[in-house]
Amino acid sequence: MKRAFISTLLALTLSGPLLAAGSDSIQASDPYVRAVPPGMANSAAFMQLMNNDKNGHALVAAESPAAKAVELHTHVHEGGMMMMRKIDKIDLPAGQPVALQPGGLHVMLLGLVKDLKPGDQVELTLIYEDGSKSKLSAPVKMIEGMPMQRGQMSH
Amino acid sequence: MPHRFLIIAILLATFALSAILLWRQDASTTSSPLTMTPAGGDFTLNSKDGPVSLRDFKGKVVLLYFGYTFCPDICPSSLALVSAALHRLPPEDQKQIQPLFVSVDPERDSLDHLQQYSRYFHESFIGLTGSPDVIKSVADSYGAAYRKVAEKSSTAYTVDHSANLYLIDTQGKLSGQLAHGTPPEEISSALSKLLHPQTKE
Repeated sequence: MKRAFISTLLALTLSGPLLAAGSDSIQASDPYVRAVPPGMANSAAFMQLMNNDKNGHALVAAESPAAKAVELHTHVHEGGMMMMRKIDKIDLPAGQPVALQPGGLHVMLLGLVKDLKPGDQVELTLIYEDGSKSKLSAPVKMIEGMPMQRGQMSH
Repeated sequence: MPHRFLIIAILLATFALSAILLWRQDASTTSSPLTMTPAGGDFTLNSKDGPVSLRDFKGKVVLLYFGYTFCPDICPSSLALVSAALHRLPPEDQKQIQPLFVSVDPERDSLDHLQQYSRYFHESFIGLTGSPDVIKSVADSYGAAYRKVAEKSSTAYTVDHSANLYLIDTQGKLSGQLAHGTPPEEISSALSKLLHPQTKE
């Protein structure tokens, strides 16, 4: 009996280091990057993040070959002012979805290597607080609500 | 006797409460420049094709927006909504509307780039900017607010800004404002009303 208890305890203790890595427990869905007007320096990536782990995680950085620098940003609306701010991390509480969406949290792509057109794919690497990484490919989409313009359709 | 005190106390309390409520109402309308009704008025700024004044567009409805092209999210979102709103209107109405994008960041926004940027959203867009002093006075007269913020970020600096759309009637008079995020159908209906004031929906 005592042995069984000890082995259970041991198993529980051993399972500690086996905690799920951020990259294994966080599901990134519907990622996309905004198409930009020609010559525009920056864009942003949006997605839904779901932490399926019992423990909280955090997105602490992101990388992409499409931009010179990638940062995590948020928007604060205060007294009618729109304020964009760099943040150190995006908390991903256990079992909760977190939306990266226009007007709020986003992965900012600074210094685009080339113009982003609808249909292009952008590689993104998400880096979590435990150092684990996950890679994803996000399609470039026209800015929400914007109709296709004649000039941009291929003839 | 105690009744009289009670009545006086109630009266005083009522008076104090209404004073607080009135004061709060007053504060909410005057404390922020963004909530005051701005005067609007004529202005002259630079475009890629030379100086542009508001009075040049007399007879057209003008849609005015202040922003900057480094703005990665709010400005493209606002301009995309404007784009959608314009495209909802019949072509003959679109010709009677002049959308203007005023950059509050002349340091980074060249006239070339501004034109390219704003035309992405609609071919009739004109990108404008000017010296910091001139931009400040135009923004002030429309109640648009912005401030440069240094950040420990690769953007070097970001610009906090109000994101209202200003509607100017065919006589060059500021007619109203639409908040950031106003859906395209509301923008186009507001434009339509200014273009055809006699017709009701």
